[in-house]
Amino acid sequence: MRKTLTLLALLLFYYLAAYSQTQKFTGKVLSKDGTPIPDASVRIEGAKTGTTTNAKGEFIITARPGTVILISAIAFTPERVTLTPDRPSYSIALSESSKFMDEVVVSAGGLKSRVKEQGYAATSIKATELTNTAPVDVTSSLSGKVPGLIISDAGGGVNQNYRVVLRGQRSLLGNNQALIVLDNVVVPNEILGNLNPDDIANIEVLNGASAVALYGSEASNGALIVTTKKGTKGVPQIRLANTSTFQEVSSYPKLQTEFGGGGNGYGINPDGTPVFSPIENQSYGPKFDGHMVNLGYPLENGDQLMVPYKANNDRKNFWNKGYTNQSDFSVSSGNDNSTLYLSGQYAQVTGEMPGDKYNRATLRLNGTRKVSNVVSTSYNLGWTQNRYDVTTQGADIYNNLLNIPANVPILMFKNWRTNEYANPNGFENPWYQNPYFEADNNREHVRNDYLIGNVQVDVNAAPGLNLTARVGMTTANVSALVYTGKFTYTAYAIKESGGSKSNIPGTVNPYSDYQTRLESDVYATYKKEISKFSFNLTGGWSIRQNNSAINSATVTGLVVPGLYNLSNSINQPTAYNDTYESRLAGLYGDFKVGFNNYLFLEATGRNDWVSILNPPHNSFFYPSVSLSFVASDAITALKEMRNLDYLKFRGSWSKVGQVNLTSDPNSITFGAYSLEPTYSQVNGYPFNGNAGYTVGNQIVKSGLLPEFTKGYEGGIDLSLFQSRVSGSITYYSTHTTNQTVPANVSLASGYSSYLLNSGEVSNQGIETKLSVIAYQNKNWTATVGGNYSHYNNKVISINPALPTLSIYTYGSGAGSYAVPGYQFPVIMGTDYQRDPQGHVIVNGTTGLPVVNQTLQVLGNSNVKDQLGLDLTLRWKNLTLYTLFEYRGGNKIFNNGGATYDWSGTSIRTVAYNRQRFIFPNSVIADPAHAGQYVKNTTAVIQNGNGNDGFWTDATENMGVTSNYVTSAAFWKLRQLSISYVVPASVIHSKAIKNITISAQGRNLFMWVPKSNIYTDPEYSDAGTTSNGIGLTNLQAPPSRYFGGTLSITF
Amino acid sequence: MKKISIFSLAAIALLSASSCKKFTNINSNPNSATTSTPEVILPQAIVYTAANASSFNDYGAEIGGFAANAGGYGGFGSAWTYDYGPNDFSGLWSITYDALNDFENVINITANDSTHVLYNGIARIMRAYNFEMLVDAYNNVPYSQALQGLSNMVTPKYDDAKTIYPELADQLDSAIAIVHKSESAANQAPITSANDPMFGGVAASWIKFANTIKLRLIVRASAVASFSNTTFDAAGFLTTDAIVNPGYAKISGQQNPSWNTWVQSYAGSNGNRAWMPCTYAFSYYNGAKLLDSNRGKVIYLSYPNTANNQLGVGTTSVVSAPATTNAWYSGSTTALGNTAGIMKGLNMGEPLVLAAEGYFLQAEAQLRGIITTSVTTDSLFNSGILASFKYLYLLPDDATLASYLNTPAKDFAQYQADNSGSYLVNWSLATTPAQQLEAIITQKYIAVNFINSQEGWNEYRRTGYPVSSSSTTDPTASFASTLSQSTRPDKLPTRILYPASEYSYNAANVPSGISPYTSLIFWAH
Repeated sequence: MRKTLTLLALLLFYYLAAYSQTQKFTGKVLSKDGTPIPDASVRIEGAKTGTTTNAKGEFIITARPGTVILISAIAFTPERVTLTPDRPSYSIALSESSKFMDEVVVSAGGLKSRVKEQGYAATSIKATELTNTAPVDVTSSLSGKVPGLIISDAGGGVNQNYRVVLRGQRSLLGNNQALIVLDNVVVPNEILGNLNPDDIANIEVLNGASAVALYGSEASNGALIVTTKKGTKGVPQIRLANTSTFQEVSSYPKLQTEFGGGGNGYGINPDGTPVFSPIENQSYGPKFDGHMVNLGYPLENGDQLMVPYKANNDRKNFWNKGYTNQSDFSVSSGNDNSTLYLSGQYAQVTGEMPGDKYNRATLRLNGTRKVSNVVSTSYNLGWTQNRYDVTTQGADIYNNLLNIPANVPILMFKNWRTNEYANPNGFENPWYQNPYFEADNNREHVRNDYLIGNVQVDVNAAPGLNLTARVGMTTANVSALVYTGKFTYTAYAIKESGGSKSNIPGTVNPYSDYQTRLESDVYATYKKEISKFSFNLTGGWSIRQNNSAINSATVTGLVVPGLYNLSNSINQPTAYNDTYESRLAGLYGDFKVGFNNYLFLEATGRNDWVSILNPPHNSFFYPSVSLSFVASDAITALKEMRNLDYLKFRGSWSKVGQVNLTSDPNSITFGAYSLEPTYSQVNGYPFNGNAGYTVGNQIVKSGLLPEFTKGYEGGIDLSLFQSRVSGSITYYSTHTTNQTVPANVSLASGYSSYLLNSGEVSNQGIETKLSVIAYQNKNWTATVGGNYSHYNNKVISINPALPTLSIYTYGSGAGSYAVPGYQFPVIMGTDYQRDPQGHVIVNGTTGLPVVNQTLQVLGNSNVKDQLGLDLTLRWKNLTLYTLFEYRGGNKIFNNGGATYDWSGTSIRTVAYNRQRFIFPNSVIADPAHAGQYVKNTTAVIQNGNGNDGFWTDATENMGVTSNYVTSAAFWKLRQLSISYVVPASVIHSKAIKNITISAQGRNLFMWVPKSNIYTDPEYSDAGTTSNGIGLTNLQAPPSRYFGGTLSITF
Repeated sequence: MKKISIFSLAAIALLSASSCKKFTNINSNPNSATTSTPEVILPQAIVYTAANASSFNDYGAEIGGFAANAGGYGGFGSAWTYDYGPNDFSGLWSITYDALNDFENVINITANDSTHVLYNGIARIMRAYNFEMLVDAYNNVPYSQALQGLSNMVTPKYDDAKTIYPELADQLDSAIAIVHKSESAANQAPITSANDPMFGGVAASWIKFANTIKLRLIVRASAVASFSNTTFDAAGFLTTDAIVNPGYAKISGQQNPSWNTWVQSYAGSNGNRAWMPCTYAFSYYNGAKLLDSNRGKVIYLSYPNTANNQLGVGTTSVVSAPATTNAWYSGSTTALGNTAGIMKGLNMGEPLVLAAEGYFLQAEAQLRGIITTSVTTDSLFNSGILASFKYLYLLPDDATLASYLNTPAKDFAQYQADNSGSYLVNWSLATTPAQQLEAIITQKYIAVNFINSQEGWNEYRRTGYPVSSSSTTDPTASFASTLSQSTRPDKLPTRILYPASEYSYNAANVPSGISPYTSLIFWAH
């Protein structure tokens, strides 16, 4: 701090000294095309005084006539101008520097830096790349484009949720998702999916912590710096667009189509086949033969539904074709003093699940205004509202579908109110509901409103010295109504189903919550050049305050059907409310020094004080250092190489602290109040005026510390052949220690979870990128690009007392775990007992495989290799763009697999045609040599059916995790678009500047290994916020999207 | 100007640093209590134990021949085969330890508190009760290092069950001493039924309960473990049922847990209908083995035509459980509740230990010379049967005998007359110690039917009574599943497995190689 102040004082001294002897000159700095250049440096040659241009490119300088001023700006070639006494005003045009390394990008804290100064990996994604497939959620369009970035759709639906992770997971149980920064303000991750993609000017992806250490303790996971559009000076630009997108199921679990409902439990026919049942959900009955059979029991009026006993395709056709319509408009304008950008978008989505609907409206107002010669202001204001009307039983409905034999004509059960066979009273299956009824009867209506805004004031306090103050605010308000309708069965239906059809009492649960995040930043930046050195110093502080509250009430047992209100009940509602508050204060400094415009050193430091840890552990300091060396500018031999545009070496080191008391970056708890044990009323308490409390189930280690991620990265950026070839390679290595681990522990300890600092995860990887303009002439351009990332995330240690750490597990114990020495995370579960060669050991008498109940590591679930390949082909006004993505090197556990086996609909269950079989690749104990095994050719599993046979056996089949673990590799055609810009000669209109027509598709095709008979391995049953990746269940089937856009610019 | 800049910037920096402490000191929890008192933890822990007792009954009923699968349901899996996995009945483990931790908390916060002596004593008694439930289900369990999470002991070692049992008996002795101390101690915090939903703070009742648990430990294990003190406090054993009732009501989470599971939810949804009476147990009522028409009528729906089944028989011929209620409910099917029997009503209390069990324990203890009382063994035996009648004839309030029934004594007499040739009912006919033991255990089996079924199952494993045939062809002779994969002669399992959570989080300590067919609880054979 002392150094900053000294320099500041020096500057003031010079400024004052020069003032008394001089005359005032004004000027305007423009690019060759007439656009003003803001922030250009105007410096008196040989002196240390100077100024910078304002937003309109204007400057005022006081100097002695005859003085030479040096005008320079990032990305432009500097110019010298002599000031003459008879000419008080100048217009100076700078030519753009050919090397895009001079390009200015936004980096941490809203500070700007040139690409050449960056000592770390960064990827800039432009607006056109974000919207060329017209997604509703911009997150999806980042997949496959950025090395080191993994975007995962957790499970389909009308508005997917994505998990955004840079450089693999580093925190065992804390938040691993990239920080989202919108217009320099840190926002909850959910905001990214609620932006209008057309409002985004640029997303700067900063992979490593050193790039973003200034953002504070949430930055250890890298950041996506999102900048929205600003108005531009000149003729106002108005854009209108409409997009229609269709959505359809792109892949479906492999199901058997040979056997219908029934099973041995209903008896065995004289020919040895299992008996058919008209009501059984398990498809372990006889083979389909096409003759007419009963479906369900006779109705009260004697009607009996009959259907052909053969497979149909209704289980897949149940899913609708979804449709999305998006309408956009935007206005951009500006003059010398202000700019304005206005936009609006409305998107309406109907989903694949019958009845599911979603819509979203967004408004944006961005502007800048120069208040005086030294003060300028800017503001960004965004409003988003989204509305869901969806079923709450998506997974259960999918489960029901997979429990319906293939001969059941599901589609005829759509009108359950009017069709007697579709009505719950008459529905064929007594145990599982008609999926259409279930979807209608279990719904949630959710309203989300987001207001995101910030205002900023910049004061050019003195030449080279800028003061900035900014206040940002994000509020999210949710109000929702979740309900299950009441249904009273007829006495006949209850009796005929043996009571399996049981009245549905109905439930209603309204809830609402809000969260507000306020952030205020004040900082001073001072720039100075001293001979060959350039200095850029920033010091500032930041405070953040988060508040939230949730209220929720539930009542079960409705009186009037169809009325969803807490008062409409025979019972008293139960309710709860919680409020949360957390604060963070940070003091930071950034010191940049450049030498000769080719060597740059940047050092940052920040100290944070957080409310959610106890003193003194709630104050922590973290530094970063980075170095960039532009060899192509520094070394004469390289400088003179004709085809080398630039060559940059870079390296950085950083240490960032993160308080990881919640894994959810959107969490409304902010991790507050996690340190003290709690007591709560449970088990029915309060009973009739008496209280009863239980001890909470978590133990917290006293003196809990933040997690620290320490690491370095190094890389090379280069550009060849006048930018026709550009590429980069980065290697990084980080170690995250002091992991904050709410570890599951033995229940015999009296507790279920233990929050402590323990464990270390290392992340290493390589990120490469190459883009080649393969062919270029007047009409044609062909660009191919690729990026490849390799990830190696390893658990070094956890805790001597915790040999393994569960991240997300199912009741069976199978799930996602951290295990020292293994990749992070791994899938653990049960497996069969195997001989040393890996053959399954079976019981020599029953032929049944022997299960090892001890959990085994069954494979890593983190992606190890990721490849993105893109091709852009332009011919005159026509552009074709494709993007493929591959991910692999990991496994997935399909927890839903057991359901398919249970129901007898999975393809696995017909592997032996439902006959007795010998377990494949099995061995039996060698009778001659104890402890040795011989190939099994004799021990046969007698009951090769389900119902009471092998396939539905929980111990020997369904409960064995390894049966459902498959490769998670995939190739996806992520994006395909063709767009055509209608030539002006065709339009014949002065008003219309541009018409673009495009057709586009997303996730059109997916290729997975044969072993994956289930679903999209990108899905995560643990949701977007859990680190327990690699688990899928009965999420909606994966979809493809395709549609068209028409846009007109006025 | 230079100085002003320096000073103002420095001042701001200092201010922000020094005010940080205040700025960030806002982490006190506005949502949950961070302290508590024995007055409110103890009652919850007792009610939690009662809910768990209902789960123990379910486990004992499913394995022990009291319940069998009903028609129309599948997925019985290991309930049919006995090929248990680590997830079967895992709730018994987690809930018992969770409840134990609440008692442990009461013991810790009252340890040096001279005003909550009875609270301390009760919590100790309940701790012993719960640990016994664990040992009887799992044999070796974490005991000496258990419940020490606050001292960072999260991977507790397993203690030999043979050493836990005598330790529990000693703990009960010291708890009884503490309860006695509370009776004379001054300045005691009041303890009412609000704080003690089992005995309303009556010290004498707690001592009887403690004595009964201690007797159970010694009766069960005296042959295989050595107890330091086999004498009992003069207060004697349970003469009334130990029943928990915090005021069960038709409110979410507040119904009697058994009723809630098996009959109907507070909102009117059906209870579990996948199970119904097992033919084996039912044959002790309908005359197939014994005739017990009065208790049969008061327990079962539509007795003697109650739907019943043999475990493992899963064909379509198996009838479903009753459509609107449950087979262990004998009252009106249109207005559920307010009836005598097992499922009395949503407001009935949940028994932890029946007085009947106390009498049968005394009878056996006397038979084996463990205790000597002033009453004869046959009188203890008869008191046990009569206590069973009494419990079953009570209405949901646990106090009023159903007026529409005869007196328990009269119907007990008829029971003896109806089975005048059976030494299982008439003590005088049991002439050998083996017959006497069989009579005691069989009557205990009948008394705990679907109330504390796990005790019937425990005693079967310990004594081999009531007899279960090695052939499953006669559903009244064997309660083993027809689909049993057990290698034992009786085709029954010996125990359940440790839960998966122990294999995940305490793998170094949890015993390996546990078999549901060959691994025995230490008192079993």
